[in-house]
Parts: sequence; C-alpha cells; structure tokens
Amino acid sequence: MKQRVTLNINGTEEEVYAEPWWSLAQVLREEFGLGGTKIACNTGDCGACTVLLDGKAVRSCLILAVKAQGRKVVTIEGLRGKDGGLHPLQQAFMEHFAVQCGYCTPGMILTAKSLLDENPAPTEEEVREGMSGNLCRCTGYAKIVEAVMAASARMRGEHR
Amino acid sequence: MGCSQHIDATSVTEAISILQSQGDKAVLVAGGTDLVGMLNNRLISPETLVNIKTIPGMDYIREYSGGLRIGALTRIRDIETSAIIREYFPVLAEAAVSVGSPQIRRMGTLGGNFCQEVRCWYYRRSPATGKTFTCYRKGGNVCYATSGDNRYHSVIGGKKCFAACPSDMAVALASLHAHATLAGASGTRSVPVEDFFIPLGNILKPGEMLTEVSIPALKPGSRQKFLKFRHRKTIDFALCSVASVLEVEAGVVADASLVLGGVAPFPYRAKAAEQVLKGQPLTEDLASEAGAAALRAARPLSLNAYKVTIGRVLVKRAILGVDM
Ligand SMILES: Cc1cc2nc3c(=O)[nH]c(=O)nc-3n(C[C@@H](O)[C@@H](O)[C@H](O)COP(=O)(O)OP(=O)(O)OC[C@H]3O[C@@H](n4cnc5c(N)ncnc54)[C@H](O)[C@@H]3O)c2cc1C
Ligand code: FES
Ligand code: FES
Repeated sequence: MKQRVTLNINGTEEEVYAEPWWSLAQVLREEFGLGGTKIACNTGDCGACTVLLDGKAVRSCLILAVKAQGRKVVTIEGLRGKDGGLHPLQQAFMEHFAVQCGYCTPGMILTAKSLLDENPAPTEEEVREGMSGNLCRCTGYAKIVEAVMAASARMRGEHR
Repeated sequence: MGCSQHIDATSVTEAISILQSQGDKAVLVAGGTDLVGMLNNRLISPETLVNIKTIPGMDYIREYSGGLRIGALTRIRDIETSAIIREYFPVLAEAAVSVGSPQIRRMGTLGGNFCQEVRCWYYRRSPATGKTFTCYRKGGNVCYATSGDNRYHSVIGGKKCFAACPSDMAVALASLHAHATLAGASGTRSVPVEDFFIPLGNILKPGEMLTEVSIPALKPGSRQKFLKFRHRKTIDFALCSVASVLEVEAGVVADASLVLGGVAPFPYRAKAAEQVLKGQPLTEDLASEAGAAALRAARPLSLNAYKVTIGRVLVKRAILGVDM
C-alpha cells in the first residue's frame, strides 16, 4: 500500500505516494523525473545514485523512499554555485576533463560536495579515501581527483 | 511484489512481537545497505518492513569492567572512529575500516553486518535477469557452487551451502571472544559470536533479533591485527581475512586467538594454530607453522584452493604483526 511521503527536493516542498519498498533513487527518477541521479548497480556498490540527504552524501538506491520523510534531498539538478551558475565542482569537472561517459559524474560531484563540506582543505589522499566508494569505468580517477583538488582550492579562494 | 507496509518500531518488544505474529512475512531493516539491495533485485518480497532504526537506546559503545558493550544499531563508522576501540581493540577498528566504502559504513549497522545475506552469486542472482538458482538457501536441494564456479566459496566447514560468511565484523569480534545477545519473546540469550553463524544462515529463531555484542575484558598490551585480502582496495568482501589477538610475555606466546574470514560459512577459529603458538617463543618459523596448521582442515572445491595459500600467509603475517 502506498504511503504519503513529504520531503524537500532541491529546495521545494514535495509530496509523493510511495510503495514501502521503493528506493529513493527510483522515486527521484520516476516520480520526479530527476534523471541526473543514476541507477547503475542498484545494490550500493557503485555510488552513481549518490544524492545529499540532509547535506550528507548517501546512496539513494539503498534508502527506502519512506525513510526520506521530512528530510532534505539535493540532487545534481539542485547543485548551484553562489551566483546561481555552475558550482565550482561542476566547473572543475569540466575544466579538468573529469567526465567521459558522465554516468558516474553526478555521484562523484555530490560525494565530493559532502567531502568538502566536512573537510574544506583535504589532502589528495583524503580525497581518494573520501571518493573510494564511487566507481568510474572511464577516466581512471586521476582527473577526478585533480578536479576535486582544484575545486577545493577555488572554494577556499586560492585560485582566481 | 506483496510488500504492503513499513512500520517504524519504537521498542525491541514491539519489533519482536511483529516478527512473532507475522513469521517470515516480516523482515527487519536497520541501515538497509544489504536489505534494500535485496529488495531492488526482487530477491525477497516481505509483506512488512520493520524499521528498527527508530528504536531508541540501541546505538552505543559502552565500557563495562574493562570490556565493551556495543548496541546492534551502532554504525560501522562509529566503531571505526571510536577512541576506545582504536586504543584497546584495534583489531575491531581495522576490520571496521575494511568494510565496504565510507557511505556504506555510515549507514550500515553492527546488527545488520552480522545478519547480512551471503554474497554467493548463485543465491544473489536477481530473478529480474530471467533466471534463478533455487539452492538450499531458497528451499531447493542443491548448492550450485559445488559443481559450478566456486572461486569465492568456502574451503572449510561447508555443509549443504558453501557460501562464505561475509561479515568482517564477526571475524574481529570472534577473535576478541565476544558474545552476541539475542532477544526473543521469552527473554534474552547470549552466544559466542562464532557460534551465531551456521551454513544456512544464523541461529536466530523466528521472532528473535540481535540487540548487542559484548567484548570481555582483555589483558592490556595484547598484540592485535586484522588483515583482509581482496581483489579491490575498497568496496570489496574478503577472499580471506584473519584476526589475531596474541598475549606475548617475554617473547613467549602466553595466549592466542586466531579467527579466519572468507574461508568458511562462519568465522573460523583456527584452534590447531592457536595450540601451535601457545607456550612457544614467537619466531618467524613458529608463525609459518601456525599458518600451515590454520588451514590444515581445508578441503577446497574445484576453483578455490588459492584461498588456502593466501590464508597461510595471512595468518603468518598477522601473527608477526606485519601489514599486507
Ligand atoms: C557495496 C557494499 C559493500 C559491502 N562491503 C562489505 C564488507 O566489505 N564487509 C562486510 O562485512 N560487509 C560489507 N557489506 C555489507 C553491509 O551491508 C554490512 O556491512 C552492513 O553493516 C549491514 O548493516 P545494515 O544496518 O545496513 O543492514 P540491513 O541491510 O538493514 O540488514 C541486513 C540484514 O540483517 C537483518 N538485521 C538487521 N539488523 C538486525 C538485528 N538487530 N537483528 C536481527 N536481524 C537484523 C535484516 O533483516 C537484513 O536481513 C557491503 C555492502 C555493500 C552494499
Ligand atoms: S546505483 Fe546505487 S550504488 Fe550503484
Ligand atoms: S565517466 Fe564514465 S563512468 Fe565515470
């Protein structure tokens, strides 16, 4: 039986009727059309479905939608820079060619966002550890780590 | 899919009474890191999901007369970062860091880690792919691994099912002689961690749940090590792991506890290796001898004899306290 769930998605209060076994990833994609959240493994292995739940990166394929009741969700569609344009992480991913097929990218960027919120000046090792749960089949990771390091420097005001 | 309701339990008594009244139609959900993946793949279709994260007072790490009590809802991440555990029970902190990925450790709980389903690829094959393997665990009468691809299965102690116990936490906790507390309608019982697991699952009876794991006091200064061999450095289960806790006095092993993971359907206590060590001066040769003894009972399947070789070396390294 569907249950009513109210939650905040990208700053807007929303309501949805969800079956108890539906994952948050499925609801974001299919009920709200937010296709930026990817589903790849659907079992927690890859991190493609990462969103921010109350500010923290989580795997939305492993979260029951009913458990998101009353909480704040940010998907890649809701990530913005201070001026309303691209977030420095999105900018850095473009500039450092950290995207190939792009399937892992929303999850990578939101994982990095959560990481930089907790630790604004990480070492490269800390970035690698923090991003270790996200798989990319294309880039070989070096560019992704570079992009996160560059974004963190920019967000601290060290470049430009 | 028949799943019709999601209940936020507010007490252990309530969760148990739902399990009792609904039998196997109800399942508990803690962090959901294993269970929701099973739901997504339609491997289970319970009628009732009982959320136990809403039960207060089950998320704690508490000292008691030199030992430790850990609530079943404690997250793996909190075990990994606990100052007490890092200082006095480092074997457990090392096992915690090795679990999954940072996000999995933030959501996953200790109770769920013990009760997670095995990773056998026959058992886990999603019906959505159009094929299922009705093995012993699913009520069939065959283990497909015995004649199929068994490279990740047990080399010791398989009975009917040969899947290996996936829990890293149980391996470290067994090496610390921890006990699990199980609560049911008629009260609680306590069992050694290594006896909690059996080849077709665990010893929880219908209507029972795990509430706590307790570690007894340990003599100060013990040498502890957890080593885990896996394909990938992150997000991967153990092909073979070892937890060792040694008391060494003046260069002689006074007491030894050695438990292996990834090789059996339960955390495997290598009693023969413990005997080899006890009372002997700790040397590299002795460690090698213990490594050989630890795997002597192994009866590999067609594709997993490599686990025996890895296990011997891991045991030796854990005893000598060297990293991988
Ligand atoms: C990508 C990935 C990688 C992983 N890697 C590892 C790894 O390296 N090592 C490892 O050990 N594990 C690993 N895991 C398994 C991971 O799910 C567990 O480590 C986690 O701790 C499970 O906890 P949970 O609270 O999320 O369990 P849930 O998914 O909520 O529950 C799992 C099972 O336990 C039952 N259950 C939960 N709590 C209780 C309780 N108190 N009493 C009785 N039954 C209960 C549930 O009904 C369910 O059947 C991995 C999982 C994923 C998805
Ligand atoms: S789709 Fe959620 S982790 Fe892969
Ligand atoms: S860019 Fe293709 S998976 Fe990462």
